[in-house]
Amino acid sequence: MTDLAQSLIDALALGGLYALIAVGVTLIYTVMGMMNFAQGEFIMLPAYALYVLAGLPFAVAVGAALATGIAIAMLAERVAFRPVRDADLSAQLVTSLAVATILQNVVSASVDARAQSVAAPALVSESSQIGSLSVPNLEILTLALTLAVLFGLGWLLYRTRIGLEMRAAAENFEMARLLGVRANRVIAIAFAISGALAAMVGVLIVMQTGQVSPTMGLTPVLVGFIAVVIGGFGRISGAVVGGLVLGALSSLLGTYLPDGLVPFRDAIVFSLPVAILIVRPQGLLGSAAGEARV
Amino acid sequence: MSGRGLRSPASAAASLLVPLALVALTAALGASGTAAFADTVTLILCNLVVVLGLQVFIGNSGVYSFGQLGFAAGGAYVAALLTMPAIFTVLQTPELPKLIADAELSPLLSTLLAAGATGLLAAVVGWPLMRTSTLAIPISTFAFLIVVYNVLANWDKVTGGSSGLVSIPTTTGIGSAALWSGVAVVVALAFKRSASGYRLQATREDEVAARSIGIGLMRERLLAFTISAMLCAVGGALAVHQSGTLSPKTFYFAASVTTITMLVVGGARSVLGAVVGTLAVATVNELLRNLEEGASVLGLFSIGETPGLAAIGLGLILLVTMVVLPDGLSGGREAGEIGALRRRLHPGLLPSPSAAERAQPLPDPGSAAGLRAEGISLAFSGLRVLKGLELELAPGEALGLIGPNGAGKTTLVNVLSGFQSPDSGNVLLDGAAVTGWSPERLARAGLGRTFQAALPFAGLTVVESIAVGAMGVGVGRRRAVEIAADVLGRLRLGDQAQSPAGLQPPGNQRLLGIARALATGPRYLLLDEPAAGLDDEECGELVAILRGVIEDFGCGVLLIEHDMNVVMDLCSRVQVLDDGETVAVGTPQEVQADPAVVEAYLGTSYAAGAHA
Repeated sequence: MTDLAQSLIDALALGGLYALIAVGVTLIYTVMGMMNFAQGEFIMLPAYALYVLAGLPFAVAVGAALATGIAIAMLAERVAFRPVRDADLSAQLVTSLAVATILQNVVSASVDARAQSVAAPALVSESSQIGSLSVPNLEILTLALTLAVLFGLGWLLYRTRIGLEMRAAAENFEMARLLGVRANRVIAIAFAISGALAAMVGVLIVMQTGQVSPTMGLTPVLVGFIAVVIGGFGRISGAVVGGLVLGALSSLLGTYLPDGLVPFRDAIVFSLPVAILIVRPQGLLGSAAGEARV
Repeated sequence: MSGRGLRSPASAAASLLVPLALVALTAALGASGTAAFADTVTLILCNLVVVLGLQVFIGNSGVYSFGQLGFAAGGAYVAALLTMPAIFTVLQTPELPKLIADAELSPLLSTLLAAGATGLLAAVVGWPLMRTSTLAIPISTFAFLIVVYNVLANWDKVTGGSSGLVSIPTTTGIGSAALWSGVAVVVALAFKRSASGYRLQATREDEVAARSIGIGLMRERLLAFTISAMLCAVGGALAVHQSGTLSPKTFYFAASVTTITMLVVGGARSVLGAVVGTLAVATVNELLRNLEEGASVLGLFSIGETPGLAAIGLGLILLVTMVVLPDGLSGGREAGEIGALRRRLHPGLLPSPSAAERAQPLPDPGSAAGLRAEGISLAFSGLRVLKGLELELAPGEALGLIGPNGAGKTTLVNVLSGFQSPDSGNVLLDGAAVTGWSPERLARAGLGRTFQAALPFAGLTVVESIAVGAMGVGVGRRRAVEIAADVLGRLRLGDQAQSPAGLQPPGNQRLLGIARALATGPRYLLLDEPAAGLDDEECGELVAILRGVIEDFGCGVLLIEHDMNVVMDLCSRVQVLDDGETVAVGTPQEVQADPAVVEAYLGTSYAAGAHA
């Protein structure tokens, strides 16, 4: 019983982390229709901020990580993505691939291509006793952060003017522009929020794994993409569901898979979504509408 | 029609010979240098085979796949394990089936088997992958790449695990690499100019329009995906027999980025682009790598060891290309299509088809029972758009469908052509129930349509974008060209045959939409506002063209049109819709006199005015 409860909490925590990644990917997709490969590097660079500032108080380092995430996302938008804003999906995807390659290798060249270890503060590496369960503090933190972010985003999108503008831009970008929505501002803010989310994810991953590497963003960005696809493109709620499903699946497979198959967990986790798409090409929450644009 | 192709023989020859010459030149240059230089050039040519493989899928479909390097990896592993001496194979991969472990095949045979096995894998894996949406394919293929990596790196006893394989025979020389590059150029060009290649390019230009001429998206993508995977496998097999070592990382994300950069920099849509891009990027890459190793530049200054410099350069090149030159160095054109060369090589006019070639068999009136809609109802989130509509279009008849904006005319055409499933009601095509059929299936069954927007196949030439209509419903390439020539003649667009469809003026693009629907040989043709944006003279020509079509082909035409002159000129019957219901049906004169019709138009426009 406690084993089951324990693995459910693990599953929920990993699902929460994946949901945060997926929401970051979706935010950018909704305002400019781009699947952003560089989201993985928006996760990786803030993680390196923790590594570089390892001597400083942890709160300061986390603050710097958040600032890094926001800054790099906004910079990438201004320099690389704005010029291809009106290009097709493929062109945008390839552009983001270029940005990802550049950022990844700048870190390889300036720090090291190999992984570096980063110590997590004692508080997050310990566990708390809840009834008969021993829950890692990091999982509690992840879940709390996920909930806070989702409520915060919900408030921003549905209760503020900038949220209204973002939703309008997501619905019909040109029309929103004609009606006075400032496109540059809306997109910049979406990137800033997405960068902040990615930074949180980066910090959580570092605390979990205790290390940083230039390619550490690759798996998270794929996780984010797949969560977005199985959740149904362009919906925050879909991204959350997709992230939770994927995270829970991965976590439970890790626990219950026979030993011989554990190394192939990623292969199984990344194959199943394709199975979902065969049955529901529009994703779990996506609607069939909008497929035919005639 | 004298020419067998869609392009003049001279242009086709130039498109083939220029990339082949580039390959031969590269190989000759490599062979004349040091052994190390020859090795580098050999690897570049192996890369070229992979990039040409990418071109077949990405270039023609316009959809990025990150999975093709997974197939290169597959090909490399199969070829390596089939050629390694048994004594090494047993040591590195103890659980490999004995048949494979013992095999010590020749390089050629192992390469062919690698291509075959990988092609099979691609067909099986591609079936679900190609079913996912255009948006999802880059992601699901990326997932496939990671799955391949994960399996190769962890299935130690069969693949050698993450440490990889060594002692693989090094049999690929610069000659065989160049030969295979040449083969890949021919395959890629042949596919691009095949009926299937044209159908896939049509889906790249416009998915919806492609479906309306009978093109099944998944089928065309799957074929290209498989051919592409086989070429990538050949490239992988060649490369592994050049370097002699192999690890799961050899063909993983970094290699994906490199090969995609090569394709994009050259221009993904053309085979020439794949060749030029590979050579250009490889050259820059080698220069940067030399810098990384600390070589001095022109003896002026020296740069210390900088890991990742080549990759940063690659990323920058890719970024700059996307921003400044999105069509790549080749502009997406083949050698025979470039600038002055193009004007010299292309004849201005296609020969007009003879009268005998124009003659088409008229459909047997006995089997043609007409296109019928029975009790069609449809609601969008509660809003009832069609309310039990009836419609009948007889063979050889021209029926006008008119009504105020929002009456449901286009929605009805979408239901008839399969783009929208009705909530209830039936569609009958010559007596057969076709409700719920896909647009592509209906197109192949003889239902053609156009759209309010022209939806041109902008990247194809005028004649190609018409011929692909015939290819869409399964007509062979040669016959499709004849049909296109006939249609071009009818529409008086012959002198535009070889110019890009995307550069035509709006009126012509509208005609092209009709032309490609005609090329499918429809028995029923649904036209959604074909005269919109045309001036009086052009409207007159349009009516004459459509009248000729009805007389010669005996096909029924359903015409949605706001220009009443066009409707009155062409249609023997008119059906008036308002608010999802039929208000009147009759001859144009009857309908014009019908008070209900007058009210539908004036009444709703007054009501709308009051609400505005």
